[in-house]
Amino acid sequence: MSVILSIPILSFITILQSAVVSRLPLNRGTADLMLVVIVAITLQKSVKTNWQWSIVGGLLTDFFSGLPFGLFTGSYLIITGIASLLRERIWRFSFLMQLLVVLSGTIITHGITMLVFILQGGSLQFAAVLQTITLPSIILNFMLSLPVFILIQDIIQQLNPLE
Amino acid sequence: MNIRFPKSLQILALSLVAIGILALALSGVFTSLSRLVVSPLISIQTWVSQQYRGVENIVSSSQDIQEIRQQNTELEAENARMQAQIVELQQQLVEYKILSALLEFARANPEHKYIGASVIGRDPSPFLHYIIINRGSDDGLKRGMPVVTQNGLAGRVVQVTATGARVSLITDPVTRINVRIEPSRSAAVLTGSITTDITLEQIPQEADVNPGNLILTSGLGGNYPANIIIGQITSVRSLENDLFQSASVQSVTDFDDLNIVLVIINFNPVDISPLLPNADTP
Repeated sequence: MSVILSIPILSFITILQSAVVSRLPLNRGTADLMLVVIVAITLQKSVKTNWQWSIVGGLLTDFFSGLPFGLFTGSYLIITGIASLLRERIWRFSFLMQLLVVLSGTIITHGITMLVFILQGGSLQFAAVLQTITLPSIILNFMLSLPVFILIQDIIQQLNPLE
Repeated sequence: MNIRFPKSLQILALSLVAIGILALALSGVFTSLSRLVVSPLISIQTWVSQQYRGVENIVSSSQDIQEIRQQNTELEAENARMQAQIVELQQQLVEYKILSALLEFARANPEHKYIGASVIGRDPSPFLHYIIINRGSDDGLKRGMPVVTQNGLAGRVVQVTATGARVSLITDPVTRINVRIEPSRSAAVLTGSITTDITLEQIPQEADVNPGNLILTSGLGGNYPANIIIGQITSVRSLENDLFQSASVQSVTDFDDLNIVLVIINFNPVDISPLLPNADTP
């Protein structure tokens, strides 16, 4: 998929995340639509520009977020690395891979965010954060995974019918 | 042999016959006869009429069904339009209630100048409690301006663009607000947290603090104007060996349902950072 195409699509995803998805919390956790989309794109064999999509998605989310700039870009790049590795090694059960990468991606993103908080001198109650933010976020990301995965798969198959 | 009667005689004779027949008819002599003749005629006419009506119904009903279908389509469209209008009006009613409450708040606090803004988004990270509003520097917004709702303090502007701004809510983990507890008038510091719990810290041990006490901004530190309501104390934690008491606070603002906020535009926060002791200062 063209990298140019990533800018309008991922910009729309970012707006959707900020205006809608972030307003639908489960306890204190919210879904990370961008993470789910990037994982779904990376797990598609025919996509060769997954790293570029990951960078664009990360930069756009960083632009909208109040967290230190680069946090999301860095997190998404790590997640893209994991997804790419799995894509090369395991080419079946893509949807299970999606869930696995989304799970590890949510933990990585939240872990990096908590690390940044601690480095900035903030205090954290890990048990409370895990219970009220991370676990609900994982559940919401899982719920988004299936429709997003099917949608991305269909779009990519439409764009690359021979593959 | 032809007998020719005069014409007037013929007329007279015919008239007499006609009068006679009329008289017999009126007297009822012809009734049974006429029944015999008219009954089959009426039956035939009834059958013909029924057949005609049947044909007429078939022809006209197709037109009626078409008309009914058309009317049904129109009514369905009208119904959908009305439903949409009801939803829109309900939304307007909610907005009106919020706006009237905000107006009431502005009237009750006339010392400030306000500008209304809609909440158009939230931070993508659940760890930060920021909202994005649709007013920016083009509308006169500046960094540090306090943001309130009809109930009380919501947060303050931390980042401004030309047409939008990012507002840090008082539940955000980096929040530190100097507050006053009423009625004891004790000073304390309000802090937010990742889990959105609001806590009061540094309450002097000797302060008489109880659940239900009101929390207002004190104005100390110059970041917020004084006397804006924040919330109520729900529980107090006080240990003998601790230097300070602490308390949990229930905010008066519902942060999960923020749609419209007011920005106080005539308040300029004071930057006291140059006055604070610095590690580099001897």
